[in-house]
Amino acid sequence: MTTSTSTSNNILEIKNLTKQYPGFLLDSISLSIPKGSIIGLIGENGAGKSTTIKTALDLVHKDSGTITFWGQEISSSKQIKEDIGVVFDGINFYETLTPAKTGKVLAASYSQWDSRQYSDYLQRFQLPADKEIKTFSKGMKTKLCIAAALSHAPKLLILDEATSGLDPVMRDDILDVFLDFVQDEEHSILMSSHISTDLEKIADYIAFIHKGKLLFCKTKDELRYCYGILRCRTDVFQRIDKSDILAYRKEDYQWDILVADKEKAKRKYKPCVVDDATIDDILLLYVKGEQIK
Amino acid sequence: MKGLILKDLYNISHNAKSMFFILLFFAVVFLPSSGTQGYMFTCTLLCTMMIVTTFTFDEFSNWTPYALIMPVSRENLVAGKYIVLVIFSAAGTLFGLLAGLIGTRIASNFVSVSGPADILPLGLTAIASLAVSTICGGMSIPLTFRFGPEKGRLLVLVSFFIPSIICYIVYRLLLILGIVLTDELIVLFLYCSPLLALVWNFAMYRISCTILSKKEF
Repeated sequence: MTTSTSTSNNILEIKNLTKQYPGFLLDSISLSIPKGSIIGLIGENGAGKSTTIKTALDLVHKDSGTITFWGQEISSSKQIKEDIGVVFDGINFYETLTPAKTGKVLAASYSQWDSRQYSDYLQRFQLPADKEIKTFSKGMKTKLCIAAALSHAPKLLILDEATSGLDPVMRDDILDVFLDFVQDEEHSILMSSHISTDLEKIADYIAFIHKGKLLFCKTKDELRYCYGILRCRTDVFQRIDKSDILAYRKEDYQWDILVADKEKAKRKYKPCVVDDATIDDILLLYVKGEQIK
Repeated sequence: MKGLILKDLYNISHNAKSMFFILLFFAVVFLPSSGTQGYMFTCTLLCTMMIVTTFTFDEFSNWTPYALIMPVSRENLVAGKYIVLVIFSAAGTLFGLLAGLIGTRIASNFVSVSGPADILPLGLTAIASLAVSTICGGMSIPLTFRFGPEKGRLLVLVSFFIPSIICYIVYRLLLILGIVLTDELIVLFLYCSPLLALVWNFAMYRISCTILSKKEF
């Protein structure tokens, strides 16, 4: 997965996507999702993650750029929508419905709907089929949405903050469901989340959107094994090669500097400490820190 | 599209009980004075107004963006609402007809029941009620798509008021032109009302599609 290399191996390709609102610009986003992979989309609130997803799904009209699923525009064929499962943050069914009635509505909507699989998921997630949704906790509602999204044999799952309402135990179970889903090499997941531990557990790639721009899209392993945080005093910070700095932030007694090659940084700036960088660390340094212009 | 209709029917079924009691209350109030015809017309109008309630449910549950990620187009979404509108109107007419006939029969044992029964046969009243209601309801759909169900609740009154105004203007114009509205002419107009409703609702459907095609979620 990378930014915008066009091959038939990609399920979703976004090229130079631009969308402008008053006070916000989604600026020429290019992103592609290869088959069999999980992409984590991270960024601060208002960075443009949901706008990217909604534009891809044609819920928001793009100003320019191209978005293709399996090489076709989403509006060109109903089959494309059959193959995409989406879970938004929050339930989309009126709360007097029951999971059983919801299943009937979806069965009448999707030609690929698998009622048996839906029942299996309801059982697996311990959701009572005949209880009104309004009696469900937020976690149960999320599980219902995930069950619905997985029961029409999608090949691409798009999750917009979908796991945010779940407790850690249930989140872990759901993440296992997602990992099972991508065992089929034809399946992929695009997952926007603030819970970086979830992404660290399952994502293959991390795409970071900041202030409407895609800052990077890298493999999780590259971030985990190469990125580091160099911590040093002011006098050392002044001497650091600026080309080594991705972002930096002044703390009370030290400077935290995000570097792309922590081993190189360890060798080059020997007296300094270089720690591993978590996704949260990277996000915080980019968002709250500064970048060399 | 079947799923969209089913969703609205499931959602509104929750309100069906209260609507049933409202219609029964209206039966007691209106049947003695308006007869089956008048009551049927009232039932059809009331049930037609429930279309705006379905928009409220949709907004409350943030349904529309979800519907649009299903294998349905924006045109399907609009068409679904018009089908639901016709279902609601037809249900109101049917209920009004049955409850009206039964109620009139019961009421006639105690009071004298009047109404336009001699002028308008029941079948014609049913057709005209359906046509008039769907014309009014059909106008509330683009208004609600454009302004949302909160404002739509107020605008539904407008959508029921505007066709009445148009009818009144036509009536005045006919008077000016020296055309007298005889009973035969009114009956002819009522027979033609389904055609008028079809044309009107097709125009409203196209307007709704245009409004929805521009909306973002």
